[in-house]
Amino acid sequence: MSQTPQETLAETAGDFAAEVEALSGANLARCLQCAKCTSGCPVAGRNDIRPHELVRLVQLGMADEVLSCQSIWQCVSCQTCITRCPQNVDIAALTDALRRLSRAQGKVARGTTVPTFNDIFLKTIRKRGRMYEMGLMTAYKLRTGDLFSDVGKFPMMLRKGKLPLRGPRIKGKGQRKRMFARAKAVRGDRK
Amino acid sequence: MFYPGCSLEGTARDFHKSTLAVADALDIDLQEIPDWICCGATAAHQSDQTLATVLPAQSLLAAGSKTVAVCCAACFSRLKTANHEITSDQAIRQDIAEVLGQDYDGRTPVKHMLEILARDVGLDEIARRVVRPLAGLKVACYYGCLLARPPEITQFDDAENPTLMDRLLEAAGAEPIDWPHRTECCGGSYSITDVGIVKSLTGEVLSMAALAGADCVAAACPLCQINLDMRQKDIEAETGRKIGLPVFYFTQLLGMAFGLDAKQLALRALVVDPDPVLGKLDKLGVAQ
Repeated sequence: MSQTPQETLAETAGDFAAEVEALSGANLARCLQCAKCTSGCPVAGRNDIRPHELVRLVQLGMADEVLSCQSIWQCVSCQTCITRCPQNVDIAALTDALRRLSRAQGKVARGTTVPTFNDIFLKTIRKRGRMYEMGLMTAYKLRTGDLFSDVGKFPMMLRKGKLPLRGPRIKGKGQRKRMFARAKAVRGDRK
Repeated sequence: MFYPGCSLEGTARDFHKSTLAVADALDIDLQEIPDWICCGATAAHQSDQTLATVLPAQSLLAAGSKTVAVCCAACFSRLKTANHEITSDQAIRQDIAEVLGQDYDGRTPVKHMLEILARDVGLDEIARRVVRPLAGLKVACYYGCLLARPPEITQFDDAENPTLMDRLLEAAGAEPIDWPHRTECCGGSYSITDVGIVKSLTGEVLSMAALAGADCVAAACPLCQINLDMRQKDIEAETGRKIGLPVFYFTQLLGMAFGLDAKQLALRALVVDPDPVLGKLDKLGVAQ
């Protein structure tokens, strides 16, 4: 009897590919390696691993290579790959899943500040309910030591009313805190 | 109900103001969802799948089942994605109910302002309200990534060649130009974490618009607008080539056609000076 692509992948690539598929919902066995994703990817030119290669490496179970690469932190989440894939392999969701795994396993590529930015962003939402650009920028600069980039733009932005100094405070802080904690717990159950 | 999104309270205050002014001119009621919260944006979907769905769900639930109008393309994408996930997977719906403490069916309709204006109000009605046609104004309509992609989720327009904004501004008398970069990415939120990506992608979009003969760009997303507008001078300095393209929100251009003034449309918040383009418009208006 013929096997489904799903079974074949689990047998050849083992746990890693199966885990990534479960986390992302992307059916990686369908990939034809046609590289249409890479052709349309706006950042493929600067990637250490290009989108179609990322799929192949996961199929082959090469966890360290994909979890510690720069590419997953350079993906701009523009959704071009999934929109154009003739096999409907959700590479955008795959990349998100690899980012989460990379962080969970402490394999984030050196030099990227994206996870730091994301942490500050989410913490701000938990506390305030909404984004607060001035607070986000200040915290990010302090955490990364990138103190001076774009500082020259601040006076202009303040003058144009683009940077309110007072941050928002939406009620329900306690409820949000519980929601963030429960979201983490649900994810743990799923695994 | 209206979901402005966080950017509209800060960097995109001109999008906010011009949207409310245009809605007011058309008698559209844009009442804000009470205590709406951030959609989580890129930070949430890169970090925590459940959180990325539950944050939009909380605001959508607060809207009752009324249609939610959205301005920011990134919010639009997150709200539509949350609805898609909750309606297509019962297990996700249960997870979200557990985290939220309340069941949400994922069926609160979400529409971008472009859809509301071009489809619900309709192009004929828009054209009827125009008192100062944008005649002769060559506009590069820039959709960016998240309005049209992926089409199964956003159900906005053709994913590769959307024309909704072109048709809307055409109804206001403008001349939308044909150009290839309408759905290319600007680099989005990497403006802070990896500005090199943003400068290179934004530079390509801007130079293509200039090459295609645009007088200005029309944007429908706060991230697109701020990257194209605020980074333009840096890109000109690095490449040594003048671009000089004002980057309006489509609501600002529409508002001009409705006869609203610069203050009502917050035109002073734009970084690239719009005056030369507005001057051209005045001259053409007089010539007619």
